[in-house]
Amino acid sequence: MANVAKKVSWSGRDPRDEDEDGPAGESTPLLNGTGPGAPGGSRQFTPSSLLRTGQLSNVDLNEDVRELETELPRPYPNEIPHNEKLLSLKYESLDYDNSENQLFLEEERRINHAAFRTVEIKRWVICAMIGILTGLVACFIDIVVENLAGLKYRVVKDNIDKFTEKGGLSFSLLLWATLNASVVMVGSVIVAFIEPVAAGSGIPQIKCYLNGVKIPHVVRLKTLVIKVCGVILSVVGGLAVGKEGPMIHSGAVIAAGISQGRSTSLKRDFKIFEYFRRDTEKRDFVSAGAAAGVSAAFGAPVGGVLFSLEEGASFWNQFLTWRIFFASMISTFTLNSVLSVYHGNAWDLSSPGLINFGRFDNEKMGYTIQEIPIFIFMGVVGGILGALFNALNYWLTMFRIRYIHRPCLQVIEAMLVAAVTAAVGFVMIYCSRDCQPIQGSTVAYPLQLFCADGEYNSMATAFFNTPEKSVVNLFHDPPGSYNPMTLGMFTLMYFFLACWTYGLTVSAGVFIPSLLIGAAWGRLFGISLSYLTKGSIWADPGKYALMGAAAQLGGIVRMTLSLTVIMMEATGNVTYGFPIMLVLMTAKIVGDYFVEGLYDMHIQLQSVPFLHWEAPVTSHSLTAREVMSTPVTCLRRIERVGTVVDILSDTSSNHNGFPVVESNPDTTQVAGLRGLILRSQLIVLLKHKVFVERANLSLVQRRLKLKDFRDAYPRFPPIQSIHVSQDERECMIDLSEFMNPSPYTVPQEASLPRVFKLFRALGLRHLVVVDNRNEVVGMVTRKDLARYRLGKEGLEELSLAQT
Amino acid sequence: MAPPPGFHLLLLLLLVLLLPPGPAAGLQALGEAAEMAAGLRAGLPELELELPGLELPELEPPELEPECRRLLAAFAEGSAALSGCLARRARPVRLCQACRGQYRSLLGRYRDIARALGNSSESHNCAKSILTSDRLQIVVTLSEFFNETWETANCANCLKNNSEGLSNSTVEFLDLFNKSLTCFEHNLQGQAVDVSSNNYTDVCKNCNGTYKMLNDLYNNLQKLNRHGSESGHSAHLCIDVEDAMNITRKLWSRTFNCSVPCSDTVPVIAVSSFILFLPVVFYLSSFLHSKQKKRILILPKRIQSNASLVNIQEKYS
Repeated sequence: MANVAKKVSWSGRDPRDEDEDGPAGESTPLLNGTGPGAPGGSRQFTPSSLLRTGQLSNVDLNEDVRELETELPRPYPNEIPHNEKLLSLKYESLDYDNSENQLFLEEERRINHAAFRTVEIKRWVICAMIGILTGLVACFIDIVVENLAGLKYRVVKDNIDKFTEKGGLSFSLLLWATLNASVVMVGSVIVAFIEPVAAGSGIPQIKCYLNGVKIPHVVRLKTLVIKVCGVILSVVGGLAVGKEGPMIHSGAVIAAGISQGRSTSLKRDFKIFEYFRRDTEKRDFVSAGAAAGVSAAFGAPVGGVLFSLEEGASFWNQFLTWRIFFASMISTFTLNSVLSVYHGNAWDLSSPGLINFGRFDNEKMGYTIQEIPIFIFMGVVGGILGALFNALNYWLTMFRIRYIHRPCLQVIEAMLVAAVTAAVGFVMIYCSRDCQPIQGSTVAYPLQLFCADGEYNSMATAFFNTPEKSVVNLFHDPPGSYNPMTLGMFTLMYFFLACWTYGLTVSAGVFIPSLLIGAAWGRLFGISLSYLTKGSIWADPGKYALMGAAAQLGGIVRMTLSLTVIMMEATGNVTYGFPIMLVLMTAKIVGDYFVEGLYDMHIQLQSVPFLHWEAPVTSHSLTAREVMSTPVTCLRRIERVGTVVDILSDTSSNHNGFPVVESNPDTTQVAGLRGLILRSQLIVLLKHKVFVERANLSLVQRRLKLKDFRDAYPRFPPIQSIHVSQDERECMIDLSEFMNPSPYTVPQEASLPRVFKLFRALGLRHLVVVDNRNEVVGMVTRKDLARYRLGKEGLEELSLAQT
Repeated sequence: MAPPPGFHLLLLLLLVLLLPPGPAAGLQALGEAAEMAAGLRAGLPELELELPGLELPELEPPELEPECRRLLAAFAEGSAALSGCLARRARPVRLCQACRGQYRSLLGRYRDIARALGNSSESHNCAKSILTSDRLQIVVTLSEFFNETWETANCANCLKNNSEGLSNSTVEFLDLFNKSLTCFEHNLQGQAVDVSSNNYTDVCKNCNGTYKMLNDLYNNLQKLNRHGSESGHSAHLCIDVEDAMNITRKLWSRTFNCSVPCSDTVPVIAVSSFILFLPVVFYLSSFLHSKQKKRILILPKRIQSNASLVNIQEKYS
């Protein structure tokens, strides 16, 4: 289809925005390209590499922006409102494929066996450091939240106590709402204006990162700082959020930072761990960091490893598992020992995670076989409620992306949610007549309000507390601590509040709110069960609260294996493994029938080119020919510098990988594929001016080493910052030493699932499609594969869009 | 809600029951305990004589030394005294005040059995034969039960460090408690004459000061206690004090209905509905005024007009 005449070319803003310190891509979608006036088929950089075979008239490879020929010429940019069926151009792939060029071989020859052993030791040292630092960050968050939230609740409680006697409770309400809103405002401002990628729980982002998508800024030090502060502020601000999810993101950032031995944000290079400055190595450490984060959050080291395995690692390595487990263990142990010292009983080691579900004793809270069908039914309820939660959140998120995209609006929205959360809590407490006698010190901030002296309002234990404490209260308060009405109202209100809160521009997780909703309705369920059966199934409602929490969380996030193990480890009771597994399975099956999991949904709404485990099942009839992008921009083996610079600086085609073909096709008639070179490599070459002519001029010139490429990683300078004089433009550049001489290729006839499998299993970024003469026909990149999705009506194709 | 006739009478009865074991009662109890202990010691030989009578005398194996038997009997007597005292003082709870003498003496007897006393080899035998020579180990179980009860009641909290007597704060509290109960009683007596009026305004008015003082003192004690034990585990006061306060509070706010908090529902509803109204305004205005974010579509260009692509489109429609 050489319909070259009607070429419409769009230019993208350079999506490599992590190369600049400018604002994130969301805010500045530029449209440099024009309508039909754009020169059709104008890519003339590589005249000598024009392949005159059939439909390929010029060569234009791309990774992100495609030159598109349309059957129906569209004179104007086709603008549509944001929807789920888009793939954003903002996201790039990570380079997991090792470029086995000559430099690499030289280095491998130079480094002897012993040096590789020290590399292995360094890996373990890094994992230990990841664990320790993640644990310390978790401690910091926990301690600060505890103190600030304690301060806030004491102030409000004193105020309420004062005004209960004298009248004027509306002032207490105002005080509470204002305190919440102002704390959340600070938290939201830093997220919205400084680092938007720190919003939310960070689990979708880490999932994408481990899948091989480079999310701009996601593993920066700045993100970590904003994330930690943001979490503290949003939990203190009384939102319906938890601090557990963000721990995973924090762990990942810590891992990425330590393994590189430097911080580009701080402009400090410690000159250590230089060997690990590659996407492949960094990805391994990031999965260790995510595991350490889970482990610190829930005190679940095995759960953390499995989380990395289930949610994250698309590319898993057997040796990695043990190292990740090591990092997880270190993390939970660090948290445990530091918190024990903080709580004054050192060596006690009683707080392995940020949230402790508390002890579930077998005697008191054991279950019988007869209860298992009941648990499965709870799983069904959890699945339905989870699906409802996700569906509501889907509409809300869509609305937010479309209409509330300005940072100030986002801040205002967060403040409003905080104020409303306080108001709802206050009204619920005010209206509740459920008074319970104070029993010891289980209630942190007992509010008496209209209860008799010596009693407290039991609605206040649920609303007037940090969500973590409320969860534990629901699990462990003795039977009769809550009346059904209280629990029902609480579930209803908290469901909507949590749903409304998730997706705000604050850093906060959804784990704890889900657990809390589930625990509330689970407890309600337990109470009504013993009521309905006239006490014949007398059981501790705490057990049902736990199952409800598992069901609700499973229904929302749809994790299976890792969540089962996390819950098991958090309760410290292995016998609960079986019912929890059943509950989570049921919840997932039922929930998947309606909508997909919350994290997958958000990944989709962010238009991330995410590759799932397998290609869509009905896609075998598609071949690489239809999937690939074409034409491809190729480079010759010995290329003119001017051409290279022009290709790289062409804003309309932000390609990242270029097939290298034989320099002189006329002699052999075939311009066969010789290798693949990356944009980043070309930029380093240009920066060091590795030109053929210069090599001849000065023989003493230092040879380029692999280290030069690593030093530039991960923020390669943009092409605009490299100055090439007119004379130099005429020089030639020899790529054969630097290109990857054996890129993966597929024939045109390969089916989509086959291509997908190769791409996914090896973590590729570029896959060259060649014909039977080894000539480059097209290029398959992540977005070409991620486009195909199994929708409701069969195979769907997503559109690419500028975001 | 009008209390049923005869309710006042009941109430008075309750108060009468409540009153006698005041702080003075504690001192009395100490005396009682000492007496009882002396009596026990005096009565020991008799008991010892009684014991063989319970079993088959001739078949009794000569296992237990007479000295050991004496110790066992002392323990039995002590535990009987203590359990009797605990049960008698169960409602209203006066355990710590009334039974601390018995508890202490029982502790001593148990220690006598367990620990070397005088002739070490012999008493060691005693400990072995009484405490650990059978499966049931009833003496150990009993003593554990009493210890546990004592701990749960948290009696150590209102006794002096050497558990000789009530601590100063407790004495102060019980004083105040008695005072407020007396106050309640006085005012109720005045009212009991005209049963027709069911409100307790007099009580509320007259005893407000005492009650407030009592309440404040209790809260202070609680606060001190919480500070004292950093870990927050044993933040309980001792059961006597807790129970006394509970009873008073219940009388005050349930029976007398004295603490009527001002409820200002109207302003609360106004403020909260104002806050709840804000998001609606916000979302509406951003829906109407904010420019909807548009995405610029980039149509993919690849080789088309293939059968399988038609396939896709068919599936679409």
